[in-house]
Amino acid sequence: MIHFKKVLFEFNNGSGIKDTSFNIESGEYVCIIGPTGAGKTTLLKLIYMDIFPQKGEVIVDKYNSKKIKNKEIANLRRNVGMVFQNPQLLNDRSVFENISIPLHIQGLGLKYIKNQVNEVLSKLGIEDKKNHFPNQCSGGEQQIISLARELVKNPIVILADEPTGNLDPASSLKVLRMLEEINNEGTAVLMATHNFTLVEDRGYQFMQIKEGEVTL
Amino acid sequence: MIDRILYLLSEGIRGLLRTKITAIATIITIGITSSFVMISAQFGENLSQFVDIVRNQYELQIFFKENVDETKALNIISNLNELEEINSSRLITKDEAAKIFENEFGENIFDILNYNPLPYGSVVEISTDKNNSLDVNLLSKKILNIDGVDEVRFQGKLISVIERYYRFFFIFLTITSSLILFATIILISNTIRLTIYARKDLIKVLKLAGATNNFIKVPFLLEGIFEGILGSIIASLISFSTFELVNYFLSNFSNYTLDWSFQLNLILFFTIIFFSWIGSIRAVKKFL
Repeated sequence: MIHFKKVLFEFNNGSGIKDTSFNIESGEYVCIIGPTGAGKTTLLKLIYMDIFPQKGEVIVDKYNSKKIKNKEIANLRRNVGMVFQNPQLLNDRSVFENISIPLHIQGLGLKYIKNQVNEVLSKLGIEDKKNHFPNQCSGGEQQIISLARELVKNPIVILADEPTGNLDPASSLKVLRMLEEINNEGTAVLMATHNFTLVEDRGYQFMQIKEGEVTL
Repeated sequence: MIDRILYLLSEGIRGLLRTKITAIATIITIGITSSFVMISAQFGENLSQFVDIVRNQYELQIFFKENVDETKALNIISNLNELEEINSSRLITKDEAAKIFENEFGENIFDILNYNPLPYGSVVEISTDKNNSLDVNLLSKKILNIDGVDEVRFQGKLISVIERYYRFFFIFLTITSSLILFATIILISNTIRLTIYARKDLIKVLKLAGATNNFIKVPFLLEGIFEGILGSIIASLISFSTFELVNYFLSNFSNYTLDWSFQLNLILFFTIIFFSWIGSIRAVKKFL
């Protein structure tokens, strides 16, 4: 599903990803471990095609970084969920409205959107927050809302970039459990974290990244 | 598709409501500046009608040379009728000229001189095509060039002054309207630019969620158009109220009233919206 073939991406300062090849298949849960600045975010950006390899190719589902057109990037992102350290919620919209954005982008009907969002809210246990605004929710709740916004798309993979970076241990654990539940239902999860102790005993596959070099 | 259109429409309206102060300031500015265009255009239309009325009353008196006989006089009349500035020309025979003389001076020319020295002549009505502003001096020169014409008389100064001011007004109106419409483009463009900066977060979220560039751009374009529509409504109201007020004052001492043309207003209404749309496109192309 995700294939890196001899991928090179270097920033001007020399950091980035160096000659990296790996495959991630549907339903896998892979944890990318590495210190800050090692290239974890770069690797995820290559997957959702925010940046493109200078050498090699990245293939995600049917999309190839060498051939993809601008319009197809939008299609790719409709199938890939992205969760960041900062939940990136819109504070002037309710939780329901935040979560429904990806479905409006897909041009789906209001009735379907309502049902789908309610289903995800209930699945993640935040139905009571539906009409709240993000700044009325805790940090952990905001991260779950951002996860809900991605989950509502039924993505093939969720890319999580330090999703617990701003959270207390209890909230971090809650987010991890939710990602695991999502993975159990068949969605691949690729999570980047520098906090190895948080994830070491959870039975994930690990991918280590150090100074741009990836080892499985 | 309909759901997507409705969502984009609602996003455009919500965008307007989210940046209330900037949007209100823009709408009011467009309303006030555009009302100047609308009032000037309506006034210009009234002035044009007034000039038409004055033109309808334009008459040139043409005196032919003494040696011109009736056949040649009729030839001159047909030459005059070929000029596009002339609506119609009527031959004044020597006898008619004598009658006019008697009406004006109270004496019969035969009684004084025992013969009629008055030449053939013509009274000419000028064409009132309002698309052409008329240069009476130039027309007079053209007529003098016709073989057999001796003299052309007209209320030269008054007519020339009216025509000159009429032309000046339209040049002034064209220049100021162009400047105002150009300013509308810049104003809308800057407002949309500010809105784009204010909604960087939304744009980022939309891009990550798989929105196409058009999906992101459309609400901003709609916002500019909505601002244009609301600004145009304000401008129309100001223009209509101004004419009502002027007519109220005019009614105190005159039967003359100014017309407020709905059709003209509608054209300007859509022109302003069109320029607002151009302004939004400019901002979206430049900053998104």
